[in-house]
Amino acid sequence: MGFLTVLKKMKQKEKEMRILILGLDNAGKTTILKRFNGEPIDTISPTLGFNIKTLEHRGYTLNMWDVGGQKSLRSYWRNYFECTDGLIWVVDSADRMRMEACREELGVLLEEERLAGATLLVLANKQDLPGALTSQEIKDILELDKITTHHWSVIGVSAVTGDKLLNAVDWLISDIAKRIFTLD
Amino acid sequence: MSVIGKKINPIQSGQGPLDTSASPECIITPDDVLRLNKITDDYLCTPDANIYDIDFTRFKIRDLESGAVLFEIAKPPSEQYPENSVEEATLATEELTLDEPTDPNAGRYVRYQFTPQFLKLKTVGATVEFTVGTKPVNRFRMIERHFFRDRLLKTFDFEFGYCIPYSKNTCEHIYEFPNLPPDLITEMIANPFETRSDSFYFVEDRLVMHNKADYAYDGGLIH
Repeated sequence: MGFLTVLKKMKQKEKEMRILILGLDNAGKTTILKRFNGEPIDTISPTLGFNIKTLEHRGYTLNMWDVGGQKSLRSYWRNYFECTDGLIWVVDSADRMRMEACREELGVLLEEERLAGATLLVLANKQDLPGALTSQEIKDILELDKITTHHWSVIGVSAVTGDKLLNAVDWLISDIAKRIFTLD
Repeated sequence: MSVIGKKINPIQSGQGPLDTSASPECIITPDDVLRLNKITDDYLCTPDANIYDIDFTRFKIRDLESGAVLFEIAKPPSEQYPENSVEEATLATEELTLDEPTDPNAGRYVRYQFTPQFLKLKTVGATVEFTVGTKPVNRFRMIERHFFRDRLLKTFDFEFGYCIPYSKNTCEHIYEFPNLPPDLITEMIANPFETRSDSFYFVEDRLVMHNKADYAYDGGLIH
């Protein structure tokens, strides 16, 4: 293997981003992943493991991991923290009953050392539903303003209509790129 | 009946210390298969090397441009052997060849038949779905090597990492179709099933599964 090949390989490796999608069950993680990748979203059942997509986007190789959010699966989330560049926390904005659980679970993740280097994107999902809390309200309830350890943003989206989803993911990628690939 | 399913005497590839006989004692590592310069003559592990009960339950290929599903084969939980279900027969046709039920290699080999248009696709998504048994799986890694004759067309190398016990997981690789020279495409269409792939699955750098496939791109052509 020549020197240039080695250099190119390292370069390719650098251009990879690992994005972890978490949130409570029924938040819409898999729907978001499928919508982002142009797949039909009419037959989605609870994820009892993970869904991975690897794709090229804006010159980066994105490895997106959506791990099931049921309570029995949350203890396994830590197996997917390693090397995560971006964390997408998906919130069902219409599920007012579980906002407290949602805030607590996110709080646990933000204390995790292996996620310390990750940018946080909070998606206030299901904005198409009547009674959905706004992204501003989600920000207040989840106390996002208190976060000083991570770059973060909260964006109201609808996985069903696709509204603002691409913009939101693009913000995440740009933030990671600025932090990690500054020499490019 | 598949040719690959038949027992073929192992032949040394001449590339490294790789014994191609499927001996359970012989540990095949990722480095070993990444060095291979052609399709293997035989399976590099026995079906019972799969001590984690990893079971592939779905393969799907879709065209990102049109959204069409070009190939899909799923294994219903109630049935032992995969079932054919073609959703888009106009652009690509496929035919699943299963070995005899008594053959220990049944389910390790898939035959794909596509039309020439398949080789003109731009962006393709290839999905696998698999279930895991009672044990957690660590550092699960897939290496897939595609050859036309002895020419390497593409290598996939991806680490799934950890798999939850009793889980059902999916992975879709969305990729730009390799830019193949026109004379190579002509050759591939003219020589059905000489395009082949080996899929190797490792758990903690130890080979646990080996699947094979071959491909024809002359579907719909008159010979």
